[in-house]
Formats: sequence, C-alpha cells, structure tokens
Amino acid sequence: MNRFRSLGTAAVLSLLLSACSSTPPGQPQKDAEPVAPSQVMKFTTLYAQNCSGCHGAQGRGGAAIALADPVYLAIVDQASVRKVIANGVHGTTMPGFAESAGGMLTDKQVDAITSGIFSNWVRKGILDGSNPPSYAAKTAANAANGKLAYRTYCASCHGPEGEGGRKGSAITNDSFLALVSDQGLRTIVITGRPELGAPDWRGNVPGKPMTDQEITDVVAWLASRRVQNPGQPYSASNYAQP
Amino acid sequence: MRIMNAKIGPAVAKIGEWFDRRLQLAAPIREAAEHPVPRKTASWFYVFGSAALTVFLLQVVTGILLALIYVPSAGQAWSSLQALNHDVALGWFIRAMHGWGSNFMVAIVLIHMVQVFLFGAYKFPRELTWIIGVFLLLMTLGMAFSGQVLRFDQDAYWGLGIGASISSRVPIIGPAAVKLLLGGPIIAGATLSRFFALHVFVIPGMLIAFVGLHLLMVLKLGINEWPMPGRIVKRATYEREYHELTKQDGAPFVPYAIWKDMFFTAFIILAIAACAFYFGPFGPTGQPDPTIIQTAPKPDYFFLWLYALLSLLPPSMETPFLLIAPVLVILALILLPFLSGEGEKSWKRRPIAVLTVLLIAITLGTFTRLAQFAPWSPHMNAWSGDPVPDRFVHGTTALQRQGALVFQFKQCRNCHSLGNTGGQRGPALDSVAVRLTHDQLIRQVIQGGGNMPAYGNNLSPAETTALVAFLETLHPAGQSPARDAARDIALGDSSQKTSGGPRRDKR
Repeated sequence: MNRFRSLGTAAVLSLLLSACSSTPPGQPQKDAEPVAPSQVMKFTTLYAQNCSGCHGAQGRGGAAIALADPVYLAIVDQASVRKVIANGVHGTTMPGFAESAGGMLTDKQVDAITSGIFSNWVRKGILDGSNPPSYAAKTAANAANGKLAYRTYCASCHGPEGEGGRKGSAITNDSFLALVSDQGLRTIVITGRPELGAPDWRGNVPGKPMTDQEITDVVAWLASRRVQNPGQPYSASNYAQP
Repeated sequence: MRIMNAKIGPAVAKIGEWFDRRLQLAAPIREAAEHPVPRKTASWFYVFGSAALTVFLLQVVTGILLALIYVPSAGQAWSSLQALNHDVALGWFIRAMHGWGSNFMVAIVLIHMVQVFLFGAYKFPRELTWIIGVFLLLMTLGMAFSGQVLRFDQDAYWGLGIGASISSRVPIIGPAAVKLLLGGPIIAGATLSRFFALHVFVIPGMLIAFVGLHLLMVLKLGINEWPMPGRIVKRATYEREYHELTKQDGAPFVPYAIWKDMFFTAFIILAIAACAFYFGPFGPTGQPDPTIIQTAPKPDYFFLWLYALLSLLPPSMETPFLLIAPVLVILALILLPFLSGEGEKSWKRRPIAVLTVLLIAITLGTFTRLAQFAPWSPHMNAWSGDPVPDRFVHGTTALQRQGALVFQFKQCRNCHSLGNTGGQRGPALDSVAVRLTHDQLIRQVIQGGGNMPAYGNNLSPAETTALVAFLETLHPAGQSPARDAARDIALGDSSQKTSGGPRRDKR
C-alpha cells in the first residue's frame, strides 16, 4: 500500500514538474500574433500564400517553372525577378503582385519574396565553367537559323515541327504559344524543366551545349509559329494526327 | 494550541451570536441547507444547475481580474489584450479561463435546459422557474456575444457589423436600434464602451438578480422529483403528493445530495483549467481594421450554427427569418410550461419531447459542423496558395500545364478543389473529365450554369483551349475520360485529341 502511495505521489509530482518546467502549451507565443496582411514579411508565409499555387509548394513541382531551380537562379538576376513579381508578364498567366500593378503586396513584401527566393534556393558555383547563356536575348535573332537549331537540339523529343513526340509534348501548338512570352520560351529552353525530365541547354545533345545565338534563334523560330487567331477549338489543325 | 482554541472558540461563538441576533440569517440558511429532497434526485442528472452557477461565479472572478488590466477603448483594447497575453503574469491563463469558462457555461446551461425539459421539471408549479431560466439562457448568450465584442479584433468587428445589420432590418425602429447598439452610425469607440457597460454592469447585474430568483424558487418549490412513468402531474394534487414524497422518502440536501454537485462542479472547474492550460486563450485575431479585406471572420462556437444558417438562407428569406424566428422560438419556450403544465413527466412516455430535443441537437450540430469549413464561401487565396497537386502536373503536355496555370490564374481554384485543397463552392474537379466531354467542358467554362458564372468574357480562345486541355486530364488513373460517341463516328476513334499532342504522355 505504501509503495503504491509513494509511486502515485512520484507520478503526480513528475506530472506537475513537467507542467511547470516548460512553457504551458496554451501560453501564447510572442511571434504568434496575427499581423495585418500588409505587415507579413516572412518569406515562407508570403511564398506559400502567393506563389505556391503555380510554382509548387517548395518552389518546384508546380505547373509553372520551378523557382527553386538553381540553374534558373544562376542565370536570372534579382532585378528581373523582382520586376516580374511586381508587374507580372502581360499576356501570360503571371499576374502582377505589387499594389502598383493591382496586386495585394507592398513593395517591401515584393522585396522580401525576391530576396527570399535567392537566399533560400541559390546554389553558388553551380554553373562554374559552363559559360551560361544570358537571361535575356542580346543579339539579333534569325528564325531560319532557329529552325535548323531546332532540328539539331529539340526535334528528337518534340517532333520535327514541334508537334510533339514520344518524349516531349507539342510546343508549337497555337494556344500554348499564345500564352507564353518570348522570355518565357527562352527561359525554358535554357533551364529545361528538370523535375519533368526536360534537360537544360547543355543536355539536349550530350556534349554539345546550345550557344547563346542558337537559343535566341530557336525562340525566334518558335515565336514565328504564333498564329493570328489562336485557340479555335474546332479548327482543322487541332485534329491533325501527331 | 488547544488552550488557545478553548479561549477563541467561545469568543467566535459570541461574535457569531451578536451578528445573528441582528441579521437572523442562521436559521433560514440551516433550514435551506437541510431541507429534505426526494432521495432519488441525488442523481448525476441533477448537477448541471449548480455547475452553471459555479461557472458563473468563476466568470465573475476572472472577469474582475481581467477588468483590472483591460482598457475599453477602441484604440487600446487590442493592445491591452496583448499586454495580458504576454506581459502580465498569468494574464494569458486568466483570459483563457474566462474564454473557456464562457464556452463551458453556454454548454452547461444548454445541457441543464435539456435535462429540465426531458425530466418535465418545467411543469406545474415550476413554470416561472423555467421562464426565468429562459431569460437566463438569453442573458448567457448576451454575455457570450458581448464578451466576444470586447476582444475587439477582426472577428469582433465583423460580428458587430452583422449584429448591426440584423437590427437594421427591423421595420420602423431599425435605424434607432442600430444607433442604440453601436452608439452612433458606425462601429467606433462608443460601441466598445457600450458593450463594456453591457458586459460588465447591465447583463451581469440582471444575471445575478435572475439567478437569485431562480434559486429562491428552487428552494421554495423544491427540486423536481425523479420522474416516474405513470406519475401524472395534476394542479390539484401535485403539491400534496410532492410533500408526502419528501416526507416519506426525503433526505437532507446537505450532505446527502450536495456531494455530487460539488464533485461535478470541481470536475468542470478542473476541465476549464485544463482547456485553458492546454489550448490557451481565444484570440485576439487580427486588429479590427475594416480596410483589411483578406479576412474570413467567424463567430465563437456557440454562434457558429447561426453563421451557417444565415449563409445558407436564400436572400429573400433572410429578413423574415431573422425577425420572426427568434420571436417564435422565445415565445415557444416561454409558453411551453403553459401548454403542457400538467401530465406525464417521464421522457419514457414523452416521445415527441425526446424527438424535439434530438431534432434540435442534430440541426444545431449539423450547422455548427458546416460552419467550420464554410463550403458556401470561396477560398479567396486558393488560386495563389494551393499548389496544383503533383499528379496533375506530372506527365502533362506544355499546353495542359498552361491550362493548369489558367485554372489557377483565373481563380477557378477558389471554388473548385483539386486533391482536397481549394474552395468547395463548386464541385471538386479531380474527376471532371469522366463526367464531361471535351465539348461539354468548353460549354461549361464559357457559359457557366448550375450556379457557376460564365467565363466566356474573361477567357481568350487560347486560354479556354488550354484550360479545357488541362481539365481533360483530370480523371482517376483507372477510369478513362468521357468520350463523345458521335464524334468518334464522324472523325474516327482517335479524333478526340484536340489539345495538341498526346495526352498525359510519358517523357
């Protein structure tokens, strides 16, 4: 009986001690206070609320390009990313998030997202020694050369005319081309979609990376395939056999 | 020690005697404590009233403690709650006790009411006790609502807005009622002062008076005897029968019955303390700022059913319902003891009473549950915050991925869920391709229908094509998408590839 009593006392005491020694689970934490939406500055919160819908929960795996792709982050500069976040890309599904562009985020929040993307996901030195192409096109483009470059680097997966093949989908589809910008096409040609199996500019033909000029030309050729009235659901071209 | 006691004892007794000679309270108190109650009423079913009283006392004590710190001004209320949460020793715990105490009090009062109803305790001669109990319930709800307002956060602000808009619907006196409620045309400092006065002086004062009356009547009329099937209440004979019962089969309230009350009360207090300790205080949620539109305010749990009900009512029904239903409910509750003041008490012989309680409980429970995830309301952040599930991205074509982006960008996701995230206003689209063919999808997107707005003016042909191409991929792995048989015949079996390239190809 005595032993039971002492055991019971010990149990109660240890329970009480455990309750006292740490902070009680119900006690509100200092940083847990809800702040006004315009005061949120934490990158993970801002990203989860504004970006993850299209770009994926952890910056990858979404329908839009992976922002956590270190190759992408090695090529693009912060100012360009900030501009896109703030103003969006007209004609595409990237909306402007800054208040000045009709969005809900303050300038400081746009800054926080931009710097958060880079500080969280950049991997230094990933493109050392590979002479990467520039983010934006710098030279004049030649669509005819682009078609040749396309045949060399892209046709094996995307089909001879971009109509899609066994390994890659159609990329000259009129609706697709109507919804991506030239810079968007260029970015994907350079970075690929690593999580979906599309290689970056170095891996299209093993051992033979695309040159900056070839990338510019391929994009020009793709852009030249845009049509006047895209997305007509019952137009004959949509029923072409792949 | 013993010598001291021997000296002090008589002295205390003398002082007591001095007071009692003038107050003359000892005899009535002893009489009240030892009054005989029917033996069977010393039951675990008869503890809710005393528990409600104790929780009310707890609310008074914690409320006084909170009032020492709380500042009832629009500018400082929110920050004084922050001070209570973080700077005052155990301030958060007192807030949590008060908040959880209010939840428990509403729950216990409701349980008490159900028990009284099912045990027929409202019947003759205890009609007035019941009616006062109805007013006590209304006051308890009034305390709960005004207490929520004193938190003066986003929920409080919009809760007040809804309260004001409800009272504005009253014909003729609507505007005056709003002014009375808010202390002016808008929610401002005067509003908070008003609700502070209500919560701290007016309603508690009335509560104390009514609780006193309620208790007095329980003492005067005696506790309701345990209902026996077949023992019929008749105005002419009831009181005599009750006296005989307490005489033959009675036991003194103290200590025979009271220990169960005390045990249950202690359990409730401990439960409140445990909830306070583990779950903490309620809110305050964000600052009460009407310019913040990214908010989804919800009332505290005892009003959630009302929130759901008001959300689901068709607009034309709102005003009649809001103005007539409460009057009818309160009238029914007040008239109940007059309509069935006699007769059978036992719930075993009152099936309609039992069914009524069940119906009300299930209705309130269902609405409360619905209110927790508000399926009628779009999730305004879903389009940018809920990722397209991985399985709907993998193995898609470039066009289908653009379609997924259109799906998010045009905020389809706010009403339609994918992979259980997103809004619930419209149907989940995880298997929409099984239900609708290509043409039907285009028509639904462009023309809407079935509660969905038409998006034809908001989508370019390219966007529509991409979106439909994406929607066509939304089918479970084992089920093939819907096909248009007529088109199969006209164009051949593999004709339904309108999305440019193979669907869900393997890379």
